Amino acid sequence: MDVIPVKLKGSFRAILILYFLTILPATAQQLTGRVVDQTNTNLPLIGANVVWKGTAKGTSTDVLGNFALSTADALTPEIIVSYIGYKPDTVNVSGKSNVVIQLTPTSKLQEVVVEGQQARYSSLTPTNSQVITTRDLEKSACCNLAESFETNASVEVSTTDAVSGAKQIQMLGLDGSYTLLTTDNIPALRGLATPYRLNYLSGTFIESIDIIKGTGSVLNGYESISGQVNVMLKDPEKAERLYFNLYGNSLAKFDANLNLATSVGKKWNTILMLHTNHLGNRVDRNNDGFMDLPLGTQYNVFNKWKYSHNDVVSEFGINALRETRVGGQMEYNEKVPQSEQPYYGTNSETERAMAYNKSSYTFPGKPYQSIGLITSLAHHKFDSSYGLRDYDGEQNSGSARLIFQSILGHTGHTYKAGLSYNYDNYSETFSDSTFGRTEHVPGAFVEYIYNNTKNLTLVAGSRVDFHNLYGTVFTPRLNVKFDATPNTIFRVAAGKGFRVANPIAENSAILVSSRTIKATEELKPEQAWNLGGSFTHYFELDGRPGTFVTDYYYTTFTNQVVLDMYTNPSQALFYNLDGRSFSKSFQTEIQYEVLKGLDIKAAYKFFDVKTTYNGQLIQKPMIPQHRFFVNLGFATPFDKWRADLTGQYFGMMPLASIEQASTANDMRESDRFYTFNAQVSRAFKRWEVYVGGENLLNYKQPNPVIGADQPFGPNFDASMVWGPITGRVLYAGLRFTLD
Amino acid sequence: MKVLKSLLVVLTLALMSFGANAQTQNKNEQTVKIKTSAVCDMCKTTLEKAMAYEKGVKASSLDVDSKVLTVVFDSRKTNVDNLRKAVNETGYDADDKPASERAYKRLDDCCKKGAH
Repeated sequence: MDVIPVKLKGSFRAILILYFLTILPATAQQLTGRVVDQTNTNLPLIGANVVWKGTAKGTSTDVLGNFALSTADALTPEIIVSYIGYKPDTVNVSGKSNVVIQLTPTSKLQEVVVEGQQARYSSLTPTNSQVITTRDLEKSACCNLAESFETNASVEVSTTDAVSGAKQIQMLGLDGSYTLLTTDNIPALRGLATPYRLNYLSGTFIESIDIIKGTGSVLNGYESISGQVNVMLKDPEKAERLYFNLYGNSLAKFDANLNLATSVGKKWNTILMLHTNHLGNRVDRNNDGFMDLPLGTQYNVFNKWKYSHNDVVSEFGINALRETRVGGQMEYNEKVPQSEQPYYGTNSETERAMAYNKSSYTFPGKPYQSIGLITSLAHHKFDSSYGLRDYDGEQNSGSARLIFQSILGHTGHTYKAGLSYNYDNYSETFSDSTFGRTEHVPGAFVEYIYNNTKNLTLVAGSRVDFHNLYGTVFTPRLNVKFDATPNTIFRVAAGKGFRVANPIAENSAILVSSRTIKATEELKPEQAWNLGGSFTHYFELDGRPGTFVTDYYYTTFTNQVVLDMYTNPSQALFYNLDGRSFSKSFQTEIQYEVLKGLDIKAAYKFFDVKTTYNGQLIQKPMIPQHRFFVNLGFATPFDKWRADLTGQYFGMMPLASIEQASTANDMRESDRFYTFNAQVSRAFKRWEVYVGGENLLNYKQPNPVIGADQPFGPNFDASMVWGPITGRVLYAGLRFTLD
Repeated sequence: MKVLKSLLVVLTLALMSFGANAQTQNKNEQTVKIKTSAVCDMCKTTLEKAMAYEKGVKASSLDVDSKVLTVVFDSRKTNVDNLRKAVNETGYDADDKPASERAYKRLDDCCKKGAH
C-alpha cells in the first residue's frame, strides 16, 4: 500500500469496490443440476452423491434428483456423481451453471458396497467405516492378515500365548471372536477356525479391508457384536496378470506368494493365488528355554472365478490350506510322543477347505432392483497337542442367503429383504472327553434404508432366526448418519448381537498352562447390546486435507461365557455371566498431510473393560486402559519412494497371575511399553523392494512363560502374554508385477 | 543402532538419486504430444503415474479436456513408439493405437470411454 501515491488511494479504493462488486455475484454462484438414470431419463436418482472433485464438499440429490453446489467450494471444475447400483461419473462442468447427469447402471454384485474413495474414513457409509487400501497393506510386513492392521489404529493385534504364536484381533477392547470376519462379505473363518484365523489369509490375497465399528448390517447374520472386518479379496477382472512377492526376516522366516490372473473367453475371469510360509529355525532370544515363535509351514491356495454377462454376475471361489506348527522348548522333538520325552512341546496340524458362490441378477431397466444368492461350504479340521493335553476338532459348515433389493416408490426409500440358512456341525475332543453340537438356523431378515436426500441416512434392520438349540433369536439393529455440514458427520449405531461360544477354541492360550480347565455349568449362548456413535470432521489446512474422528462405544453383555483366571490360580473356569460385563471404548484420531507427501495419523484410545468374576466386577486382564498410536507416512511423487514409521504406546494392563493371585486384589500388572515399526520401499516399473523392522526398540516382555523351568509343574503358564516376545525383527522383500 | 545406520544409508541413496535427476542435461530432451482416450482426473493420475515409471521419461502431463498427453523424454533412452505402447498398456488409446484390452478392462468404471 505504501507505494501507492496518496492521490491515487481514493481511486484505488473505488477500483477495489468495483472489483468486488463484479466478483461477488460470481463467488456466490451456484451449479445446479439433475441426476437421472441413463436408460430411463424420466427416472430421477434420489440421494445420489455429488461432490466437487478433490474435496469433501458436496451434497445429495433431492426427491426430484436435483442438486445445487456452491462453485466457491470447487478446487477443479469437475464434480463426481455416485449412486449405488450405478457407475460413478466424473463430469467437467466448467463454464456451465446447469447440468443433467445421466448415470449408467452397473452390473456389480449389489450387496457389496464399493468404496472407491481414497479417504480412509468414508464420508458416505451409514456405519463408522474405514478402509485399509492395497497401498496401506504394502506399508507393513508381509504376509498375513494380522500384519495388515499394523498401520491402523482401530484394530489391535495381540499374541494370545507365548508358545503357539496365535494372533488375535481386538476391537473396542473385546476379543476377536466378537468381531465378525467376512471375506467378500461372506462370513468366514468362524467357530473352531478362530484361534489362527489371521494366518489363513495372506496379505497378497487382499485388495482392501473395510473395518466397521459397532454393530453393522443384519445381512451378514447375528454374530457381530463389536464390529465387522470385511476383507475384499483380489478381483479376477482387475488383478494384475502376475504378482510375485518374496519375504524373509531375521528370524529366518520366509514367505512366498504368487498370483496369476487371466480372462477365459469373454465372460469369465479367474485368479489363482498361492501362498506359502515357512519357519524352520528355532529362536530363543530371551533365553527362557522356549522357542520365541513356533516353527511352522503353511500351504494356501485360493482360486476365484468371476462370470459377468449382461445383468448376471457370478463369483466362485475355492480355498484349501494346510498348516503345521510346532512350539515349546528348544529341545522338544516333535517326532517323539510327549509322554516319552522331558521337553514340553505343542503341535498342531490344520486342514481347511472352503468353497463359495455369489450370484446376482439385476432387473433390466431397474438398476436399483436386484436379487442375489450367496452360498458357502467349509470344512475345518485340526489335531493338536499342548504338552500332555490333546485337543482335536472338526467343523463342517454350510450356509445360504437370498437377498432381494429394491425401492419403495422412489430411490429415497430402499430395502433389502431375504432368507438365510446356516448349518454348523462341531465335534471336539479335549483330553478324554468328546463333545459336539449340530446347529440348524433358518432365518429371515429385512433392512430398510431411508435417505432424506440431503443430510440424513437411516438404516433400520432386524432379523429373526430359529436356532434348533437355543430357540428364536431376534436381532434388531439401527444405524443413523447425519451430515451437519458436508464436512461434519455424526453417526449413531445401536444393536444386538448373539453368538454361540466355542470356549476352548477361542481361548486356546489357556491350554498352554498347567491350569485345569473346567466348565462349572452348562454354557449358554452369548448376547450383547452395543451402542455407540462417532463424529467425523473433514478439514483443510494450508490446502491439504485432514480428518478428525472421535468415537465412543458401549457394549454390555446380557450373557457371556466368562473365562475366570482370577478365582483360583490353578484353574481356568468357564461359567455364564452372573452380574455385569461391559466394555467402554473411546478413540480419537487425527489424520493430516503435514507437508506435501508426508501424512500423519495420531490416535489415543481409552478402554474400560470389566467383567464379573465370581461376584466381583473387575478389569479384564491384559487390556491396557490407555494407548497411543502414531503413524508417519512419507511418499515421493508417484510413490517411487515410500517410508513409514509407526509407534505405539501401551499402558499398564492388569494380569491374572498364577503365582500369587489367590484373590483378585493380588493381581499383578504389566509394564508400560513402546513399540516402533518402520519400512522403506522403492518402486520401479515392475519391481518393488522393501526393507523394514518391527519392534525396533527391541522391547521384550520379561518372563512371558511363567514357570518356564518346570513346564510340567503346577506353576507353568504361558498364557499371560501382553508384550512382544521376539524382540526386534528386521525383514526385506520384493514384489514383481505384470499388469 | 544397526537399524538407524541402514535407514541412513537408504536415505542418503534416496537423496543421491534425486540429485542425479536434477543434474541430467537437457540436450537429448524431446517433447511429444499423444492423443489419448483418457476421460477424467482419475485417468490423469493413472497415466501420469505410469509415465513416471517409464524408462527415459522426464515429465508428463495430461490435459483432460483435449485428452492430449504431453511427455518430455530422453531420446537416447526411449522413443515415441515405446511411449504410445506404454499408454496402451495402461488401458488407453494412443493416437491411432488401441488400448490393450485387459488393461482397459482393469480401469475404474469412471475411466472407461462410455462413462462420459
